[in-house]
Amino acid sequence: MTDATVTPTPAPRTKGKSLMSEDARTKKRNAAEKRFRAYGLGAITVGLLFLVSLLWAIVQNGTPAFTQTFVTLDVALLEEKLDKTGNRDIDEIKKVSTFGYNPLIAEALVTATADIETEVTDKDLKKILSASAAALLRDQVIANPDLIGETVEFRLLASSRVDGYLKGRVTREDLARDKNLDAAHLDLIDVMVEQGSVERVFNWDFILGADASESRPEAAGIGVSMLGSFFMMLVVLFLALPIGVAASIYLEEFAPQNRFTDLIEVNISNLAAVPSIVFGILGLAAFIQFAHLPQSAPIVGGLTLTLMTLPTIVISTRASLKAVPPSIRDAALGVGASKMQSVFHHVLPLAMPGILTGTIIGLAQALGETAPLLLIGMVGFIASNYPDGVASGFLDPNSAMPAQIYEWAKRADPAFYERAWGGIIILLLFLMTMNIIAILLRRKFERRW
Amino acid sequence: MEDHYRMDRTMSTAQDTKISARNVQVHYADNHAIKDVNVEIGDKTVTAFIGPSGCGKSTFLRCLNRMNDTIDICRVGGDILIDGEDIYDPKVDPVQLRAKVGMVFQKPNPFPKSIYDNVAYGPKIHGLAANKAELDQIVERALRRGAIWDEVKDRLHAPGTGLSGGQQQRLCIARAVATEPEVLLMDEPCSALDPIATAQVEELIDELRQNYAVVIVTHSMQQAARVSQKTAFFHLGNLVEYDDTDQIFTNPKDPRTESYISGRIG
Amino acid sequence: MSNLLLIAIVIVLGAVGYVLGRKRALNTAGGNIRDLHSLPVYYGANTAMTAVVPAMGLLLVWLLVQPMVVNNAVSGMISDATIAEAGSRDLVMSDVRRVADGLDLAVANGAMSGAEASNLDPSTSDVRGILAAVGVALGSDVSSETLDAAQRYRGMSGTGSIWKAVVVIAASVAGLGIAYMQSHKDFRARNIVERGVLALLIFAASIAILTTLGIILSLVFSTVEFFRLYAASDFFFGLRWNPSFSGRGGGSELGILPLLWGTLYISFVALIVAVPLGLFAAIYLSEYASNRFRSIAKPLLEVLAGIPTIVYGLFALLTVGPLLVDVFGSGGLLGVDWMAGGTAVMTAGLVMGIMLIPFVSSLSDDIINAVPQSMRDGSYGLGATKSETVRQVILPAALPGIVGAILLAASRAIGETMIVVLGAGAAARLSMNPFDAMTTVTAKIVSQLTGDSDFASPEALVAFALGISLFIITLGLNVFALYIVRKYREQYD
Repeated sequence: MTDATVTPTPAPRTKGKSLMSEDARTKKRNAAEKRFRAYGLGAITVGLLFLVSLLWAIVQNGTPAFTQTFVTLDVALLEEKLDKTGNRDIDEIKKVSTFGYNPLIAEALVTATADIETEVTDKDLKKILSASAAALLRDQVIANPDLIGETVEFRLLASSRVDGYLKGRVTREDLARDKNLDAAHLDLIDVMVEQGSVERVFNWDFILGADASESRPEAAGIGVSMLGSFFMMLVVLFLALPIGVAASIYLEEFAPQNRFTDLIEVNISNLAAVPSIVFGILGLAAFIQFAHLPQSAPIVGGLTLTLMTLPTIVISTRASLKAVPPSIRDAALGVGASKMQSVFHHVLPLAMPGILTGTIIGLAQALGETAPLLLIGMVGFIASNYPDGVASGFLDPNSAMPAQIYEWAKRADPAFYERAWGGIIILLLFLMTMNIIAILLRRKFERRW
Repeated sequence: MEDHYRMDRTMSTAQDTKISARNVQVHYADNHAIKDVNVEIGDKTVTAFIGPSGCGKSTFLRCLNRMNDTIDICRVGGDILIDGEDIYDPKVDPVQLRAKVGMVFQKPNPFPKSIYDNVAYGPKIHGLAANKAELDQIVERALRRGAIWDEVKDRLHAPGTGLSGGQQQRLCIARAVATEPEVLLMDEPCSALDPIATAQVEELIDELRQNYAVVIVTHSMQQAARVSQKTAFFHLGNLVEYDDTDQIFTNPKDPRTESYISGRIG
Repeated sequence: MSNLLLIAIVIVLGAVGYVLGRKRALNTAGGNIRDLHSLPVYYGANTAMTAVVPAMGLLLVWLLVQPMVVNNAVSGMISDATIAEAGSRDLVMSDVRRVADGLDLAVANGAMSGAEASNLDPSTSDVRGILAAVGVALGSDVSSETLDAAQRYRGMSGTGSIWKAVVVIAASVAGLGIAYMQSHKDFRARNIVERGVLALLIFAASIAILTTLGIILSLVFSTVEFFRLYAASDFFFGLRWNPSFSGRGGGSELGILPLLWGTLYISFVALIVAVPLGLFAAIYLSEYASNRFRSIAKPLLEVLAGIPTIVYGLFALLTVGPLLVDVFGSGGLLGVDWMAGGTAVMTAGLVMGIMLIPFVSSLSDDIINAVPQSMRDGSYGLGATKSETVRQVILPAALPGIVGAILLAASRAIGETMIVVLGAGAAARLSMNPFDAMTTVTAKIVSQLTGDSDFASPEALVAFALGISLFIITLGLNVFALYIVRKYREQYD
């Protein structure tokens, strides 16, 4: 801290000096002060910039997942192909597999593009449609057999390359190395877009649908895994809240100062910092290998996440219990209530808003957790069917939103990446809603003692 | 160094005005804490501020070195001049001001550093020493002035927080003195100390008067009577009476002062 | 009798007990509540509690013990030859269980009668076909030995179930009866009920201990198993990580060092990003920012902490990785060729650093705020500027706490999974180049346990050994950090 500005004789320079002018040293010190302040502000700015770029990346890459390209086609549902007997017996119609529908779609495509000049051969036309187009058509026919024999307008799912082209994800250069689609297809698509037979519409199937196989990103949806997450959250809520509150009440109100209590406290604070993947190993070993609960089931995921969330809930619940002033307890004890009554009748209700806030935040944390779910088998591709009912919702193999997103991120296809980002938007919307509810709860019931 | 101080003494007579406050107003948000205070504080004098709790005496003291700047909701109006310069002038840097107007707080607050580093902190940041030897000198002199040198000279590198309360407070005084201030503000410096430590600090204050203008806020009227030459009585944010200490305690002019001195309010 | 039905019966008994106990207590007091020792609800609750809790406890114990007993009895029936053929006793037993469950299912579905199922002869009927028809797929035809074992299994389980139902219901009824007889106006029902509730609370609090115990047990058993198959010294000191993919064939190299190196390197990069940013942000927020700025900037920064790690993983894989390649890759902005692919230590470390900023900043913020105001006053009173006060008084005073916070952040970084799974790459490598792809302990736990390998193979079991290493490292860091922080707080309390 010594400095050249110090005069040779160590005279106290401040004596008799005017305050109105900054001396050289003060100038330097104030400059250092400004720099330091700027570092702080800079750090916050950088942090917020990271936040903005993260959100920007999510919105930018994720929003296209919410629209999907469809091709509108007039398909002639020939009776001789779909219902040879002509008696509209639903079981016989069901016997016709998707292979029976493919020629119909191919025919419809040829008809639709008849007056467009294109280099695409008739055989290659089907590449603009999703591989699941025939299955979708079949489902609609089975749902409504009366359509057979007529020529009906259907909106069929376009292939992911076509979809990507309309969204700007796929360019003509990309297609040079791609055997799934040619540039000639794109010219055709351009014309069809002008004609209005190819269009992008809002993608309900993404929000409500099930995961699809690796070759059909255009058909993949997050709906089933959303349900998986929902059932898991039910388990977490109904286990973690009561257990967490009970444990907190014991520790905060009843526990004597002894080794056992210390042991519990140490355990809780350490469990709060144990990596989530370790809880995954615990779930795998304890619930699946030891207790033989069904693999990949939301109930196992819920149990695992319960154990992971408990410390969070206990810590926040204890804080809210602690915030209730002792005078309330004394007042209850003073009118002859038992300790238990004073806690359950007075302290707990007063602490409830804080407890709920902490629980919601714990749930939000559990909702976004991925790693433990992978270990207990809740991986994405399992989420391909809706559960049949509530019991199967808990017990049948399913996935969860973050695991589904991970699964899509692993499939090296930009069309799946788009779905992954889209899934993140939905996940974050859920988290945001939960956090806003927590904040509102806190605002509404906040009490200053 | 000694010459320097002697020179200073010859330069100013004991009754020179060091600080003059004119129409000072302080607001904490909506609370009008100091109302129109006018006071002239002399150099080389101990001036005591007395009054009941919440009367504004500490607030006013903190105006004198702009410690109130660190509180967001505090606004100060009026003029406070030190050596004829308005310390609230935008050109004045509070950092320079505080080097000139040192402060000792109610509770001893040594930094969690060694005794030496506590005292050396001020000289270091203000660049008062060119080298280590000089710094050593400054520290020793300050500790001597703080009347604590003999007690700590063998353990200068022990933590300051390990001292007793009275020693800590004298260390804080030494720390304040080390930056060569011209005014020393003391905010109830003995309220956290036992009677023996209090006596030591009071003795020290009396010695400090040789070199500084000392302003002390105190709760204890006996203390004010013992250490100060001038006394100001504050009540509800007003400066009720300001006079020689003898005058205030023997013959107060204002009935409120009289009630306070005789123990009826406070 | 299904467990759900049993539980329902016990609960109904409890409800009945509630009504009866309450009524009897009131009757003994002649309908006058004032004469009762406790409120009527407590008599009801006491009866319900005595009827439900012991019965449920019995049920739980039974459910845990019966499979073990049956398993032991049945597995004794299986010859060593069969075990040798199938590979392990566990595999045979899982076949036996599947056959037994399948037969139960077939009976339940009405595909065969109970007698038919019990008298199945594997030589005359196609057991595999029958089971496939009810949705139970078997890997091979059922041998008579397996079928015998399965029949024995069914028999024991069936008898066990009947006894279970009898015992549980009896316990419930007995409890109800005893508590009913106790319900008298002078009986201290409230004290009993409250003791019961307290026991419940203690049990809830002990779940934390049980969880830790569960973690340790599940890790230790499989790790011991792993070290039986693979030398511990090779695991701890091996410089290569190269598991074979065949699942059962040997020849895997499972050294933890490359993984540990990747973990520590990535964590180091993350801390290099997070600590200065987080610390400066905390200093600005607690010492400089106006209340208004603080109330906006602090929650915004904390949003970063609320974002799930999978989002950061995707951000690393798809945004940050390609961006870094554009800068440091071949033909990039800098004209250097340091980075071959988007997944690298730098990618994962940078993104993890972003995630940790609010973690470091809010912990440091708390710790800086715990430094008493009198320290600041003392420093300002001497004419120090804010930055001098922060650097020379507040930070030294807060140092232990801040070190604790950084250690906690380090433990977070070491245990983080999704970011490294997606952003760091899959190849284990001992390299100094931060733009190389490396992998971590957590990423390998995921890949070894989600792959196709058999759970009994060293390739899968190594995940548990990795898990225990991870657990011990993070636990050590946490305990140490929490100790430092607690000591620090005590200093200013």
